[in-house]
Amino acid sequence: MTEPLISARNVKKYFDVGGGKLKAVDGISFDIYPQETFGLVGESGCGKSTAGRTITRLYEPTGGELFFNGKNIYKLSRREMQEVRRNFQIVFQDPYASLNPRMTVEDIVAEPLDIHHAYKNREERSERVIELLRLVGLGEEHILRFPHEFSGGQRQRVGIARALALNPKFIVCDEPISALDVSIQAQVVNLLKNLQDKLGLTYMFIAHDLSMVRYISDRVGVMYLGHMMELAESNELYKNPIHPYTKALLSAIPIPDPEIQKNRKRIILEGDVPSPINPKPGCRFVERCHNAIDKCRKETPVFEEKSPKHFAACHII
Amino acid sequence: MENVLEVKELKISFQTFFGEVEAVRGISFNVGKKETVAIVGESGCGKSVTANGVMQLLPMPPAFFKGGEIIFNGENLLKKTEKEMQAIRGNKISMVFQDPMTSLNPTMKIGKQIVEGLVKHHKMSGDAARKKAIEMLELVSVPQPEKRVNQYPHEFSGGMRQRVMIALAMVCNPQLLIADEPTTALDVTVQAQILELMKKLQEQLGMSIIIITHDLGIVADVSDRVVVMYAGQIVETGLTSEIFASTKHPYTKKLLASVPRLDMSRDEPLYSIDGTPPDLYIPPKGCSFYDRCSEAMKVCKEHVPELSEHSATHLSRCWMNHPMAKNAYSKDGGGK
Repeated sequence: MTEPLISARNVKKYFDVGGGKLKAVDGISFDIYPQETFGLVGESGCGKSTAGRTITRLYEPTGGELFFNGKNIYKLSRREMQEVRRNFQIVFQDPYASLNPRMTVEDIVAEPLDIHHAYKNREERSERVIELLRLVGLGEEHILRFPHEFSGGQRQRVGIARALALNPKFIVCDEPISALDVSIQAQVVNLLKNLQDKLGLTYMFIAHDLSMVRYISDRVGVMYLGHMMELAESNELYKNPIHPYTKALLSAIPIPDPEIQKNRKRIILEGDVPSPINPKPGCRFVERCHNAIDKCRKETPVFEEKSPKHFAACHII
Repeated sequence: MENVLEVKELKISFQTFFGEVEAVRGISFNVGKKETVAIVGESGCGKSVTANGVMQLLPMPPAFFKGGEIIFNGENLLKKTEKEMQAIRGNKISMVFQDPMTSLNPTMKIGKQIVEGLVKHHKMSGDAARKKAIEMLELVSVPQPEKRVNQYPHEFSGGMRQRVMIALAMVCNPQLLIADEPTTALDVTVQAQILELMKKLQEQLGMSIIIITHDLGIVADVSDRVVVMYAGQIVETGLTSEIFASTKHPYTKKLLASVPRLDMSRDEPLYSIDGTPPDLYIPPKGCSFYDRCSEAMKVCKEHVPELSEHSATHLSRCWMNHPMAKNAYSKDGGGK
């Protein structure tokens, strides 16, 4: 068994808001192995983006430990952290908002290189930028252009080139395709897959599009209101979901085939995701769960291995 | 089947600083009674412009109707005055917008917004209107309607707001409901709730629905017929089963292949359509999909493909499907 590249242990991130604590991420644990893609899914407000940012320590964690290559990075000082941070990067959701409109593509892609003094002279800098742009399917002719001159898909490629600048080992992709059109989504997903093979990258892929997550990920975690509900290998999770929330979530995805769609039985969940501010004890899903028992209201279920490599947090399994 | 709406050769353009943008370039389709028609396509293909055009909600100028007819119950809507349109809008045809967060008035109580149309169109009294508002909230399954009716939009979640939008659209019992990406801003579990609700209401009240979406899963779920748009034109139209089972246009085929399906193997490559849709400042002379089509021929660049008929309901606009195409091939002696 290979050693995990990333192991999160009981990671927590609370925000202080008027009227209490918003428990965005409330004690999640998982491992990510080298060169795999770990998918993280859930509805909006479940804490998946916060999880991505807390793991890369863009948000200071409220608690927990995060081991990267065996080192707890939450204990590092600012200076040490900067050195380690070269190894992990983020690709953001909105390619329209995450690129500075006043910088040229060259400066955007070279910014991480500037910060880490990763070149000797200007030629080396622009050579590296061109190399990165080629890697993501853009070219030399693009370096002096500004973000507004690109389409959404191309902008996302610029964002990916920037993330690759320092040869990171681990990239958090925070909904990298949800702002793009269907036909462009496939382009970006294929690019991410190719880069993974070529450069040996490890991804954490955050999305709410479950079919896309299944397609790209080796293992998938399902979050609900700050808790991890279920985690398993991608094929296993989708074929054989055990948590009631995962079951409902999967049955809610419309399948693009009228024959199958007509004969499917759907589990329609009542209501919405409750507020994560001062959540009640017990299972987070209890109010929308069809199978809830008394114990679910009193005790928070433990996230544990229910069958080999298949984790879930539920009392009734 | 009797048609509620017939759109004939509709052309809508926008006059901009850089010139004319031909957003909708001669589309024709119809919607039958109690039927659900889905319009699919990428952003910028003209699907929302079509919907807003039917409602005549486009800002004019810059938008203008360049030609065509929109026939609703036998009358051409483009010949109506603004005053006559007001009697139709929200009353006979109503619309649900994409973003429930911004399309409700934040300073008005929910109940008042729901019955605004009734008070306007049917001169209903205050008391009766309030009762009706509660009834409508019940219809769209909003819990505690008596209490909710006096609340403001910010007190509702996204899914609940979209229910309110639907209640608001349904209140005058319209013959046609246009839903422009009604679930795009919502989570999948809530999306499933809203789609179920729309199906239920259609059965109860017997209206026709045009649903605009880019999600082929939703199309398969709710629609009877599908209109596929690309760069302001209809490239393929047919019964939902025809579109999914015997796809004829390369664009539709690729669109279907580019979404991962839950039942597909993870090793299958995901098909991607290279390039981007054409710029409609200078619409292409021939087929608008020419640049991105892997099966493009010489004729596609020069001439807009004619409609070919595959069945009484299934049409596509591609030279490959033209009855003359195969003959033309062999006459050239070219073959492959």
